[in-house]
Amino acid sequence: MQSTAPRSRLRTILRVGAPLLLVAVLAGCLLPPEPRTEAGRSVFNLYLLLLGLAAVVFVGVEGFILYAIFRYRRKPGDDVLPEQHHGNNLIEVIWTAIPSVIVLVLFVFSMLSLAEVEARVEGDEGVSIQVEGFQWSWRFIYEDEGVAITGTAAEPPEMVVPVGEPVVLTLTALDVNHAFYVPDFLIKRDLIDFGEHREDNELRFTVTEAGTYAGQCAEFCGTAHADMTFTVRALERAEYDAHLAAIAEGEEPPEPVTGECAETIEISADNLSFDIDEFEVPAETEFCIEFENRENLPHNVSIYTAAGEDLFIGEFLNQAGNITYLVPALPAGEHTFVCDAHPNMVGDVIVTSD
Amino acid sequence: MATTTLEPRAGTYRQSWVLDWLTTVDHKKIGILYILNSFLFFFAAGILALLIRAELAVPGLQFTDYDTYNQAFTMHGTIMIFLFIVPVLAGFGNYIVPLQLGAPDMAFPRINALSFWLLPLGGGLIFSGYLFGGAAAEGWTMYTPLSNAPYARNVGTDLWIIGLTLVGTASILGAVNFIATIFKMRAPGMTLFRMPIFVWTILVTATLILLATPVLTAGLIALFIDRNYGGSFFDPSVGGNPILWQHIFWFFGHPEVYIVILPAMGVVSEVLPVFSRKPLFGYKAFVFATIAIGLLSFSVWAHHMFTTGAVFLPFFAFMTTLIAIPTGVKMFNWLGTLWRGKLMLTTPMLFALGFLSMFLIGGISGVMLGQPPFDFHVQDTYFVVAHLHYVFFGGSVFGVFAATYYWFPKMTGRRLNEPLGKIHFWIHFIGFNLAFFPMHQLGLDGMPRRIADYDPNAGWTLLNFVSTIGAFMIAVSIIPFLINVVATFINGERVGDDPWEANTLEWATSSPPPPHNFDRLPPIHSERPLFFLTHGHGHPAERPEDLVEEELVDEKPGDIEERPEDLV
Amino acid sequence: MSAQSMPARPAEQPHPKVPHQQGMPTALVGMLLFIASEVMFFGGLFATYFNARAAVPAGTWEPPPGGHLDLPLAAVLTVILVASSFTMQFGVWAIRRGDTGKLKLWTGITLALGVLFLIGQLYDYSMLGFGIADGPFGTTFYTLTGFHGAHVFGGAVGLAIILARAMRGQFSARNHVAVEAVSMYWHFVDVVWIAVFTTIYFLR
Repeated sequence: MQSTAPRSRLRTILRVGAPLLLVAVLAGCLLPPEPRTEAGRSVFNLYLLLLGLAAVVFVGVEGFILYAIFRYRRKPGDDVLPEQHHGNNLIEVIWTAIPSVIVLVLFVFSMLSLAEVEARVEGDEGVSIQVEGFQWSWRFIYEDEGVAITGTAAEPPEMVVPVGEPVVLTLTALDVNHAFYVPDFLIKRDLIDFGEHREDNELRFTVTEAGTYAGQCAEFCGTAHADMTFTVRALERAEYDAHLAAIAEGEEPPEPVTGECAETIEISADNLSFDIDEFEVPAETEFCIEFENRENLPHNVSIYTAAGEDLFIGEFLNQAGNITYLVPALPAGEHTFVCDAHPNMVGDVIVTSD
Repeated sequence: MATTTLEPRAGTYRQSWVLDWLTTVDHKKIGILYILNSFLFFFAAGILALLIRAELAVPGLQFTDYDTYNQAFTMHGTIMIFLFIVPVLAGFGNYIVPLQLGAPDMAFPRINALSFWLLPLGGGLIFSGYLFGGAAAEGWTMYTPLSNAPYARNVGTDLWIIGLTLVGTASILGAVNFIATIFKMRAPGMTLFRMPIFVWTILVTATLILLATPVLTAGLIALFIDRNYGGSFFDPSVGGNPILWQHIFWFFGHPEVYIVILPAMGVVSEVLPVFSRKPLFGYKAFVFATIAIGLLSFSVWAHHMFTTGAVFLPFFAFMTTLIAIPTGVKMFNWLGTLWRGKLMLTTPMLFALGFLSMFLIGGISGVMLGQPPFDFHVQDTYFVVAHLHYVFFGGSVFGVFAATYYWFPKMTGRRLNEPLGKIHFWIHFIGFNLAFFPMHQLGLDGMPRRIADYDPNAGWTLLNFVSTIGAFMIAVSIIPFLINVVATFINGERVGDDPWEANTLEWATSSPPPPHNFDRLPPIHSERPLFFLTHGHGHPAERPEDLVEEELVDEKPGDIEERPEDLV
Repeated sequence: MSAQSMPARPAEQPHPKVPHQQGMPTALVGMLLFIASEVMFFGGLFATYFNARAAVPAGTWEPPPGGHLDLPLAAVLTVILVASSFTMQFGVWAIRRGDTGKLKLWTGITLALGVLFLIGQLYDYSMLGFGIADGPFGTTFYTLTGFHGAHVFGGAVGLAIILARAMRGQFSARNHVAVEAVSMYWHFVDVVWIAVFTTIYFLR
């Protein structure tokens, strides 16, 4: 017989609570990744609603169970029967009606979110890419540009898309079922060869932030299903065009920007001048420039070789504000940084090799 | 005159116990056979689970290659669902339902035996793939085209199909037996609304089996024809439709998950009232909720197919959301049973309370998965694996352990050791949550399921490692359980008819019951006939309408006229 | 249950009511339930048929090139099977009256008609000019009719057993539930054929 002495109750609480707490902590707060697509934001918000409801229900029901275990524990030797409640029709109606309302409201929000996720942008569809899935990699076909990027399990392919523009993928399964899944986009869609029965699936999204995102096949497709990965790189439109053009001409496309700042240089512009006149960075390493424009005049930071070739063109800030530039790896040597609107705003960039 | 005492010659009427058990048609022995056979398959599939978790603990392939891993998760799922959880619940049903009805046996005892023996045969066939070049390896859901020629030419998959057809047939025959028994063999006075809730859940479960499993059989046959006879059911290159398999499979598959959970809910609905010392709150609401779940379960199947782009999302999302309502009603009724009760935290009660907690989580994640936009993100990820284990394992398996601890005394005449039982429970409970709760986050982070290995840079390693620890804890928890069962069987504490002061008819006979179950039945005026007997007629708290004016006739099973041909 | 389990009863206690089994005999309940599961099985097969048919343009769902359907023969088979349901029912009515002789007669005729159906079905198969591996039409045609034929075969086995038991005098007006059960199954098999026949030969 277990006693209800305070020590054993404490032990019980610890035994129950500690693992749950540990698990919750390890669980990482039960959130999906920050969405990088417009539709993904809608999914994320729907999930927040679901999580909120879940928390309320969980705390309420679980709390009652724990309360009941402690409050209604039979005392040793107590042989008197508790009151034999058989039920209560009114309560049944209430606790059927209230959850019905809640889940129906939930359903409405779910359908609203679905409409956003499935929405088609009228007119120019932005970019159209044909995705072929096969055992065990992918091919991305850009028909207009005449480019096909084919991967292997050992060397997964990379899909490039322009940031901020609608992308529509046509998903073609060449053999068994596959699924195109990018967790950061909070969406996936199956690749199924429906034969005569149906057209291939389409998947639409608009990426909101430049970056490189991991993707993986999410429909078990045989032996090396685990290897069927890919990446999606979202670039500014100009870079995207350049990238595809490079592939089309058989050139090496520019090195991928991983989005990580090995180093950060701070530059600010005020009174038509930069606050530093030189900085030093290692060669062949991406780095970041945190640029602050302190006046309401257009300024940017661009980097040119001594011969005048551009290595990096930074976006303009037309008014006071901040921006972080991701500068790709630079070759060793002495270069210059300059504001493209004001040529006498200039300085040295010393790129050292190790 | 000298008198001679007649004595039977020694050995004249005795049968070897092996032959007895091999040829028995007694529902109690068959029930025990079901349970033992199921636990063997549980351990086999559990070892496969440990292999899976060992492989996933850290990135890299340490213990398996891709093909072995794919066979492992395919067989793990198949065996756990078809050869463990459904049969073990059928086994408890087999043992307990006739007793709870006051009947002498099931309606069709010989078909009952056939149903059992098809299980080791079918399960053996499924496993035999390992002897013929590899077991089935396309996932327990066997999606086409992957499971079809030419992608899966392995004999293992054909053996899987044949074995599963036999297992399905066994299920269907069992369902016929349960429904006929429940409708035709209740003791006098036991109206439908005086049946124990466990019997109701078995009734609805059997109906689901009866109507859903044949559809799977049709699909399995179609797949076999495609694979071996050049059929065109699912092969798009010859005019077939691969997604037809998914529709057929899930039309069965979704009722199947309710087949798995409803009997466990029935067990919980037996255990909670006994160890709260109050009746189940809202018996009728419970019955209607169970029937509603059964009906609705046929309308939601395509929520497993939201990402195929080929289903009408609003309908299936709506029906899926609806099915949450009767499930919630059941949860509230269980809480109402605990409310103001006098709870006795025996091991079966702990497992029943554990069921409530874990099934709650599984139900919540299920409602989440039922919303298509969210499902687009987590379908085919570890979020689904988390959900299914919280309902199958946290739900049904907890129910199975509750049933085991609760009914072991009735079946063997000995009560399992309580301290060992509690040790089993706590290690099991903690291990279970460690193993499966992190999977929610892994799925949210985008880890797909059915992958033998993952990117070390994905950030999934820590949670996988924790999950593996939990899985091995579950395995460890089986040790006190097995010790308990063996030791109790050999020399455990003996008990009488009704060690738990329970409510239903199985406790109104000896432990274990005689072959014919009952020498005499108590009068049946409510859903708690034994409670009445123990606490007297006209207990002030019982409802007057339960006291039906009728002759208190001491009906014995032998009084009912039975024709020989009815004992099929 | 045997009398040994009844303990002695004091003489003054009133004779307890002995309820007769009410409603449908248990064996028939079992057969009805089994038939329900078979309905779902054929439902699954019909689903595959309709799904395959829905994928082709309207009016083009037909046997593959070189194959054809023999409607007249199928119509004859339908008449045979429907007639056999009548003869089966005549047999049931006979034994309900206690007429064992007529039971044997009608059961024998039913069995013969069933076997005739099967022979006709096999003959049909041999003349059709397409097989199970010849596209969606061939696959669904042979699967639907083939499994129906298998069920006719199962019913024929049941009829043979009933006939044998009847010939051994095992049935009477009060004791013939096996005949009722087999007749239910046989009618079911007939109804399925009507559905199969209508679907395949008329829903084009």
